[in-house]
Amino acid sequence: MIKLTIDNHSIEVPFGTTVWQAAQSVGIEIPTMCYLEGMEHFTSCMICLVKDAKNGRFFASCSTPVFEGQSIITNDEETIESRKAALELLLSEHVGDCEAPCQLVCPAHMNIPLMNRLIAKDDFAKALEVVKRDIALPSILGRICPAPCESGCRRKQVDEAVSICLLKRFVGDEDLKNERPYKPQLAKLSGKKVAIVGAGPAGLAAAYYLQIKGHQAVVFDKNDRAGGELLQIDNEILPSEIIDQEVAQIVATGVQLRLNESINEFRFLELQKEFDAVVVAFGAVNENTYDYGLKTISTGVIADKTSYLTSSPNVFAIGNAVRYSKMAVRSVGQGKEVAAVIDNYLKTSEIKGYPERFNSKFGRLAEAEFLQYQKDSENSPRQKADQSGFTKEAAIREAKRCMHCDCRNPESCVLRELSDRYHAVQKRFQGEERFNVEKFIHREGIVYEPSKCIKCGICVRLTRNHQEEFGFTFIGRGFDVKVGVPFNESVQKGLEKTASIVAKACPTGALAMYNNEEQI
Amino acid sequence: MSESKNIHETVDQIIAEKGVKGKSVIPILQAIQNTYNYLPEEALKYVCEKTEITPEQIVGVASFYSQFRMQPVGEHIIKVCVGTACHVKGAGQVYDAFRRHFNLTGHEETDASRKYTIEKVSCLGCCTLAPVVQIDEITYGHVASDKVGNVLADFEKHAGISSGKKGLFRNVDGEEIQGEIRLGLGSCCVASGSEDVKKAVEETIADTGIHISLKNVGCVGMCHQVPLVEIIPKDGKSILYAKVKPEEIQGIIANHFKPQSTFGMLKSSVYKFFESVQTDTVWDGVKQYSIDAREKAVSDFLDRQIPIATQYRGIINPLDIEEYKKHEGFEAMKTCLFELSPEKIIETIKDSGLRGRGGAGFPTGMKWDLVAYNHSDVKYLIVNGDEGDPGAFMDRMLLESYPYRVIEGAVIAAKAVGATQGFFYIRAEYPLAVKRIRQALVYCRENNYLGENILGSGFSFDMTIYEGAGAFVCGEESAMMASIEGERGFPRIRPPFPAVRGLWKQPTLINNTETFAQVSYIIREGSAKFAGIGSEKSKGTKVFALAGKVNRGGLIEVPMGITVRQIVEEIGGGVQNGKKFKAVQIGGPSGGCVPAELYDTPIDYESLLKVGAMMGSGGLVVLDEDDCMVDIARYFLSFTQNESCGKCTFCRVGTKRMLEIMTKITAGKGVLKDLDELEYLAKWTQKGSLCGLGRSAPSPVLSTLKYFREEYIAHINGKCPSGKCQSLIKYQINDLCIGCTKCAQKCPTNAILFKPHEKHEVITDLCIKCDACRVVCPVDAVEIV
Repeated sequence: MIKLTIDNHSIEVPFGTTVWQAAQSVGIEIPTMCYLEGMEHFTSCMICLVKDAKNGRFFASCSTPVFEGQSIITNDEETIESRKAALELLLSEHVGDCEAPCQLVCPAHMNIPLMNRLIAKDDFAKALEVVKRDIALPSILGRICPAPCESGCRRKQVDEAVSICLLKRFVGDEDLKNERPYKPQLAKLSGKKVAIVGAGPAGLAAAYYLQIKGHQAVVFDKNDRAGGELLQIDNEILPSEIIDQEVAQIVATGVQLRLNESINEFRFLELQKEFDAVVVAFGAVNENTYDYGLKTISTGVIADKTSYLTSSPNVFAIGNAVRYSKMAVRSVGQGKEVAAVIDNYLKTSEIKGYPERFNSKFGRLAEAEFLQYQKDSENSPRQKADQSGFTKEAAIREAKRCMHCDCRNPESCVLRELSDRYHAVQKRFQGEERFNVEKFIHREGIVYEPSKCIKCGICVRLTRNHQEEFGFTFIGRGFDVKVGVPFNESVQKGLEKTASIVAKACPTGALAMYNNEEQI
Repeated sequence: MSESKNIHETVDQIIAEKGVKGKSVIPILQAIQNTYNYLPEEALKYVCEKTEITPEQIVGVASFYSQFRMQPVGEHIIKVCVGTACHVKGAGQVYDAFRRHFNLTGHEETDASRKYTIEKVSCLGCCTLAPVVQIDEITYGHVASDKVGNVLADFEKHAGISSGKKGLFRNVDGEEIQGEIRLGLGSCCVASGSEDVKKAVEETIADTGIHISLKNVGCVGMCHQVPLVEIIPKDGKSILYAKVKPEEIQGIIANHFKPQSTFGMLKSSVYKFFESVQTDTVWDGVKQYSIDAREKAVSDFLDRQIPIATQYRGIINPLDIEEYKKHEGFEAMKTCLFELSPEKIIETIKDSGLRGRGGAGFPTGMKWDLVAYNHSDVKYLIVNGDEGDPGAFMDRMLLESYPYRVIEGAVIAAKAVGATQGFFYIRAEYPLAVKRIRQALVYCRENNYLGENILGSGFSFDMTIYEGAGAFVCGEESAMMASIEGERGFPRIRPPFPAVRGLWKQPTLINNTETFAQVSYIIREGSAKFAGIGSEKSKGTKVFALAGKVNRGGLIEVPMGITVRQIVEEIGGGVQNGKKFKAVQIGGPSGGCVPAELYDTPIDYESLLKVGAMMGSGGLVVLDEDDCMVDIARYFLSFTQNESCGKCTFCRVGTKRMLEIMTKITAGKGVLKDLDELEYLAKWTQKGSLCGLGRSAPSPVLSTLKYFREEYIAHINGKCPSGKCQSLIKYQINDLCIGCTKCAQKCPTNAILFKPHEKHEVITDLCIKCDACRVVCPVDAVEIV
């Protein structure tokens, strides 16, 4: 047995144990990417660096055996910095998007490519479900949204953007027409209550998501109809029955709508006492609105950018009350986000901003990449729609135009997870030139995108261990080293036995099964 | 079809010779490339079919080593050396000039007629002849960018003639020896034309009937004077002739020896020449033969040196085993085989204080002890001759000139640690070293200095040569072992160290060539004598390759602890052309620089580390005021970046990002914040890389940042103080111009208009900064601003 110290834990482990395993045995988790349990180590990613307390030297814990009397530090500032540095270097050559640009541009952060894939598969109900995770009012927004997503759409560079907004409207309308419309799964009631002042898009969305999370949402509005500013829109563009129908769906979740109730400053104080939290969503501030004693500036109520908390401890503000915008989708998105913040607050009494996940992104496509991206889409012109929106056929055809810029492994990607954890900044060491994206797509099997590869060689070792005829190999050397199939054989040929095995083991989204849907 | 049948037959032959195991992959690929000049895919696929080698292995390996090409190349290959010494003397411009000559654009490397392929090589090891260009087997030294045409013309003239392989070691017989002529046959000498000189000697002997013996000796170290011819008359004092041309040989010989036949037998032209050189008065007129000055220089160059690894230099014929024996050769080995126990040998080495000469300075005796301690039936020994530092050629010289001494050291080590099989790992760019060692191994086996039951001692040990395939990282021991095993040269994490688990998982001793070369001396002379040389913690001597802006470059073996100043000023004769000493770069891409203010730094492991440099393998490049330190740092970094194996994140990406910042700075596009990022990256690449290559790659940058930060800042402010960085300089012609038109004639882009007797002008937009005009100007009218 070997005695050593890891982060001040004195431990004893058998001879030959690696430092990483030793740490694991006392519950200290050291991240790794190139290491796969049960396989010989390779030591390439250097994410698992730890520090020798005696001489300050760093070494890879995944492949270094322990020795007697060692003292190891796995979590001090410098060690954390080493991980961040390694991640930032890897990210600087990682050409890929965790999430599609359209989704990143969408103020409600809707999972557009997933919606498109489901529409393309004729699974409209599932598509609606995906939409409703982020957008409580799809049929309404489908008619009025200026669709910033479409200006972010990569297809725009190739020909024309995918008609995302109409597709969303299509799934929304399909649901409204459905005899058994989508009913979100509701959490058990928590006994907590949240008051929402204003039944505009922001307030409605907040209420919808709070209710789903099990907190009784009560929406107060001075008007006799819910909708707030939506009610001002021309009926030709946004028929009032669409508003009513979507509001009804929200009310169907258990949200209480209290119309014709104007909240004055006194009543507001009462709400603060009666309710566990209050959301201010009363629309744009003007000389006729109350500030309820909340701190304001010229644009509106002051609220934290990520938690929406105002100067009052349990009061949150969203939508035009904070800053005027014509984009209802922004208000709807904030409704979803404040609901998550309040949910966490009600459960833990802690105010935590809405988490922003790490996203790898690389910007515009080079012309040489158009073809690569078109491999995963159908080459038809942007579909036209009349007043009544897309037909089913048109919707499916349009959805198939989507190029699926998003990653197939957005949840299982270790690079993303660690970049998130260590707050890595992708742009820090951005090189002058980036690799061009290449996509090798086998629709019945695997997709390989070399530009996302971190050269950990797990796939090379796996194909070797499984005695693939061709397998994967390292090609070239140094910065330009690539992993690929020898003799320019196809990826399919290289991975005859091991496609799903390497896809599962790949620490990034470089190798993934074509039909991998992690966010469904 | 017939072509593929042809390929199959060839490959079958190669496999029959090299074997079918995975470990044979590199020798097989080398043989295929020798046949086809590149690696036809068909051949590689056929290898996979017929051997245990998999597609994954063969493609991985073939694409790793820079020696291998996947595409056919031109008939002749022009290698432009871009080693450090060549770099500081304008190799980049020479390379560009070749590209211009052949109108190559983009990534093209082969000219339209497919006759020539041009490539950069990291170091040909002829640093004193910089800049050096090699076309096939012919090496050209001192190539300037405007001499490219001449070089090619000369090559075309000689290409046909020199195609017949010459007998390098052929001896001349003569019954009555009147004296001896010694001719250096190190790579520098050969590159500078000693082969032709040798031919001239042989012809002269044949023509005149003078009975003298021609003796080939190894490198004398005076590479700045090559080719060197030393004449030793039977009774007289030896005379050294430097920079000898073949046509001068007959005269030199005739000057010293009395011909047996009549002079009438000489060709008339030779006779005339002989007449003109007979008297010393004539000789005095020729500066290069000015005897007094020469001897002074020679003694300055040699006096401070202590030859241990290079003992008997200039005296013994590299391959003459009898002569090596006469000069105490194999005595130490016999002592070890018959008198000393392994423990005693190791103790002696420990006591001597010998430390690894490969750069890191690990105590050699301790390393041997570790290998000896690990019991195993099979143990390996590797002589690391993969000297890859640009600007270093010690190993090359030792292997070429003292093959037996290295072998003797290896046998002693093998006995000490119990090694059963040995390898010479020699880098691909050293064909002469490979040839000599191969021959030396044959002679050693014939004499039973290697093989079964050596000299009846009961100890068996044999060695084979393993030729590298062009990867600097393979100088790192774990990468080297991977390479011998037939894998990509990826380093592995240590521990386990090779002493515990090395080649094919067996305990393995790896030492540098120079380390082995010092072993026999220690055994013979005793550890105390060796330990008596050098400084407190660094004992003995170290061989350095002195090059760059120094008057007398070459190979020197000096006692540890000697100062930088002593080397440059006393041995090297100071900085060339009276320029000011700026710094010396030590340790190549893993080392750093010692600036003028630290001129008196003693050269030993600790002192160098303290000033931010490193012993490295022993490249010592002198830099003068014309050298830009940012450019030098960028140069080394681009070398290591290019040589990174690509395995670990910090080295693969870190060096790349650092290089991008350095490039930005030398292009005048840097900002101050770049220096912070550069330092951050340097720090983490140093701390986080897997092997020594990555860990030391930032050293040149860090060391120049430490001593020459103001030069970095000047670049950021848009100025290169030394006028080296092309993006930051302009060429101008000043009023000294006499209108001689030489510059206009040389200018490859017509950026200078031909205006006889008028002041010329440089059209900046057309100027490609090739420096040809400045070099050719007789009145220094071309200036860099």
